[in-house]
Parts: sequence; C-alpha cells; structure tokens
Amino acid sequence: MENPFTSAGSRPEAAFASAAERFFELLKAFGMPATGQPPNWSSLAAPLAGQFEQWLRMSQAAGPWLAAGGAAWPGASAGFTAPPSASFGPLPLGPAAAQAGEVQRTWELWGRLAQLQTRLAACWSEIANTAAQRFVARVGSAAGAPATPEQAMKLYELWVNCAEEAYAATVHEEDFARLQAELANTAAALLVEQRRHAETLVRAFGLPTRNEVDALYGQVKDLRRQLAELTDAARPARAGESRTGGDERAAARRREGPAPRRGSARRTRARRPRA
Amino acid sequence: MTAPGADPGALFAQLTLRVAETLARLRQARDVTVGCSAKRPVWNCGKTTLHHYLPLAEASVARRRASRPVLICFALVNRPYILDLQPDRSLVRRLLEAGLSVYLIDWNDPDEADRRVDLEEYIETHLGGCVRHILASHGDEPLDLLGVCQGGVLSLIYSALHREHIARLVTLTTPVDFHTPDNLLSKWVRQLDTRLIEASGNIPGEVLNALFLALMPFRLTQQKYVRLLAGNTEPQAIEDFVRMEKWIFDSPPQAAVALAQFVRWFYQENRLMRGTLEIAGRRVRLADIRQPLLNLYALEDHIVPPAASAALREQVGSRDYSDCAVATGHIGMYVSRSAQAAVPGRIISWLSERR
Repeated sequence: MENPFTSAGSRPEAAFASAAERFFELLKAFGMPATGQPPNWSSLAAPLAGQFEQWLRMSQAAGPWLAAGGAAWPGASAGFTAPPSASFGPLPLGPAAAQAGEVQRTWELWGRLAQLQTRLAACWSEIANTAAQRFVARVGSAAGAPATPEQAMKLYELWVNCAEEAYAATVHEEDFARLQAELANTAAALLVEQRRHAETLVRAFGLPTRNEVDALYGQVKDLRRQLAELTDAARPARAGESRTGGDERAAARRREGPAPRRGSARRTRARRPRA
Repeated sequence: MTAPGADPGALFAQLTLRVAETLARLRQARDVTVGCSAKRPVWNCGKTTLHHYLPLAEASVARRRASRPVLICFALVNRPYILDLQPDRSLVRRLLEAGLSVYLIDWNDPDEADRRVDLEEYIETHLGGCVRHILASHGDEPLDLLGVCQGGVLSLIYSALHREHIARLVTLTTPVDFHTPDNLLSKWVRQLDTRLIEASGNIPGEVLNALFLALMPFRLTQQKYVRLLAGNTEPQAIEDFVRMEKWIFDSPPQAAVALAQFVRWFYQENRLMRGTLEIAGRRVRLADIRQPLLNLYALEDHIVPPAASAALREQVGSRDYSDCAVATGHIGMYVSRSAQAAVPGRIISWLSERR
C-alpha cells in the first residue's frame, strides 16, 4: 500500500488506486460477501478497528513530521525500527575515538523515538476503536450490506465521518499535541546529531563543513550588501554631475530614507565556525 | 440502505469498472498544465522573483491607466500559481479582466545558502524591494497589496511599517490570532523547539504537506479520491482535479530561520495579536494599519480557522474595514466555484469603490 503522505500524493493515479483499494477492503469488511443478509455490525467493530489501526500505523507511522521525510529529510528517513548502524559507527580515523559520547547520544535519541512511537501507536489504537464504535452505533442494526455503488458510497461517507470525528477528538487533546511536539523535537535532534557526525567525517577528510560554508556565505552576503550601499551612495553624485537624474534604485533609497540599519547587516556577518 | 437479495458480486463488478475508468482518465490527465496568464519577471532578489502579468487585450486601457497596481503577496509555504490555475479558476485573470495591473511575488525555492534568510529579510528586502520597484515604475503612487494566507501576515506587517507605500490592503485567508481554540495546527506546533528547526536546516516541502494532510487525514488522503467514483468523471473534471493535486503536492522547501521565526513569533507567541512583534528594530502594531482594508476568509477553513482571521477587525486602526466570509474551505477559497463567483468580484468592486 502506498503511503498517502509521501510520493503517491504527487501521482494522483497512484493515490487514487491506493484509496480505492482501501475502499474495497472496507466494503469487504462491511460483509459484502454475505449475500442478501444484513451484516452483524456489532461483530464487525473489532475487525474494522483492526483494519483502520493498521492503516493509521502505515500512513502516519511517526506522525506527520516524519511520515514524509524520506530522502528529502535524511534524519527522518530511516524508519524507526532500527538505527542505520553504518551511519553511526565510529569513524575509522584517529579523531573518531573521541566521538563515543556522540554515538551514545544518537542511540539515546533512537531509543527515545522508539518510546514515542509506541505511545503514538496507542493513540492510533484508541482512534481506531472509537471510530469503529461510532460507526456501529450510527449505522443501525437494520441496515444491510450496500447493493449499489451509491449505497456503498453512503456507507463509506458515514465511515469517514466517524473516523474523522474520532481522530479529531484525540488529536486536539493537549497530551497528543505534546506527543507530536516531542516526536518532532526528537527527530530534529537526531538529524542535528547525524549532521554533527557527518561534519566530523568531512573535517577528517579535509573537506569544508556546513558551518564553514555558512560562514563564507554570510561573508559574501554581507559584502554584497555593503557593495550595494556604496553603489547607491555613489550614484546620486554621479547623476548630479551628468544632470541625468538618479536611477530607480537610488530614488527608491531616497524615498526610504536612511540605509537599512547596520544591525541587520552585522547580524548576517560571518560567524566563526564551530570547533 | 439495503437491497435484499442483491448480488455483491455485481456491485464489486460495477465499482471495479468505475475504478478502471477513473484510473485511465487520471493517467490521461497526468501531463495537464498549470498557470494560464502570461507574465514576465521584472525584478528579483535572492530567489524571489517579481512577476508582472501582461494586460489582456480585451481589458480597458483607460481603466488600466486609471487604476493602481495590485501586488499579490502569496504564502512562502505554497506556490502562487494556485491564483492563476486555469482560465476559469483564476483570481489573477479576473483582476486582469477588470483592467488592473497585477504583480505577483514568487518566493521560489530557498536552497541551503538561504537557510539563514529570516522574516525581516523576506519582509523588508524581498517584499519591500518588490514594492519599491513597482512604486518606481508607476510614478511613486502607493499601490494596492493583496496578501494571501501567510503572505497576508507579511502584508499586514509591511502595511503597518510602511503606510506610505500601501494605499489599500486586501487579506485573503490570513491568520491574525494564532491561538483560537479550534486551531489544530497551532496546538501541534506550540511546543516545537524552534532552535532545533533552525539547526536542522531548510525544511522540505513534503514535511509541511504531510503536516497539513494530517489535520484531516481521511478526508484529504482517502475520501477525496474515493469520491471520484461517485462524481463527474468527464475529462475536464478529472483535469481540474489533477491540477489541484499538482499544486497541493508541489510545495517549496522552507528557509530554516524564517520558518522557525514564523512558528515561534506567531504560532507560539501570538505576537501579532499581543503587539509584541518587532521587525527591523521597529514594533509592529496592527493599529498602525489605517489604510482601507478588506479581509476575506473561509468559514470551513481547517488551516486558518475563521476566528483566526476575523480577529483582525478588532486589531486594525483602519476606519474603512470590511470583511467577507465565504462558505468554503481554505483551498476552496482560491479555486472552488462558489469562491470564484464571490471572491474576485468582491475584491474588484471593493477596490473600484475606493478609487
């Protein structure tokens, strides 16, 4: 099954096929094969909840923060069953010996993430059970299995309403919001930690680190700003000499009054790379 | 709901046929194009490009000359072409038809070199640069600013800080009070560690997409597709659907520092409402917005709840404030048939009444 939070969504036909597959599974769960007989809805609550919970676990394995990570957000990409040990093993170089503490920290974060995952799974279970109970209560004991596509759609809409209501009831709670934030914070901390490891590695190979590149970029940006200020300051004088009037940019600067405060320029000045 | 003695096999066969037909039409529509009005880039700064839409031949030249230019400031988190998706779903097209001179800011994709671009830079340098360019091109007369969603927040800030540049302000699905009780997005991000967001680097668009979809996962990732089985499967309808899908999943990455600031200052600290926001060393007070202001919001908006937008009324200093609530959702506000009938017309008539 495609994860609707990832690539399938950008290919509507794949997302549609996945949703249609789920729809058919649901119709089967509604007791479609039992020809002519009204399904025993109350006995369907447990399998419905089970099926629903499975979907929740697959589609939102780690909450929205991480479900879409994939290759785009490396820190969130590897799933949460086991850390990719190769990425976190000690480096085969001298300085690596000093990194044991960092590796320990990474393992702690993975452990924390696994704990949070378990708590999230409990939420999915609660939502699935509540949704199934709501559905059984609303569908009415007299209702039978749908016989036409329109009836099937009606039943499906009822199921989605129940699922969405059960979901909303849980995810609006303070506890859930805290859990979501903890998951996101832990995943982000893990990503930062991974990058720190990567920086250690590139430094060992004599390559520029992210921090060093950032510092250089900050310097370039600052120089560009200073150059623009100097160019603007020089233009009115030149324009006056040639009696042609200022250009659009200089005019805009004059309208704006003084040049941008120096503080903002200072703020982007290169930072010292972290040791 | 039941038909005694019905054959479930026949039902499955019917549905399977519908699935196959819909799938084939979706595949046919795969290469559908988005964006319909001709435009040209006229200014840029960093990754940001200011576009000017070419006037329509049928629009009145006299009216175009008489009207102020309109600058559309869209959100950083989505692509602005939703406002010009296709000829019959285009706010831009309606504005052009009314003879307005329309500019649009495309923030484009920040890369890792832009990870430290902050909100001050986006507002003062990028948005401000666009405004100054337009002023210089139109005889220094103040312009009309149309801010959409997060772009509405940036527009409110700019209008409060640079009153002399903005004649009239229109906000569309713009959050102002980020702490209304029904704001699920706000609840979820309230306890995020924004220092970690900054340290993590730019945030991929996919992450934000997943977050938005997770607000109503069954409707947004399942039901809307299954409804294709019951709805209109004419090629045109399917193409419209695919265009929307393209837009929804085509989200740009977010500069780390700007996103972290947006989360902290607005979602966590609600600075716009509390009057505690400072940009470029200046306090931003919504009460300083005295220009005529039209605020449009959606009544079924799950991303920007109506109360979050409607709060603007009590905050701005404008004596000429109007709002307009439309019975649709957040995205529906840009493309739904009901909104297409209501929103562009309201904006155009509001602007022309204040010429």
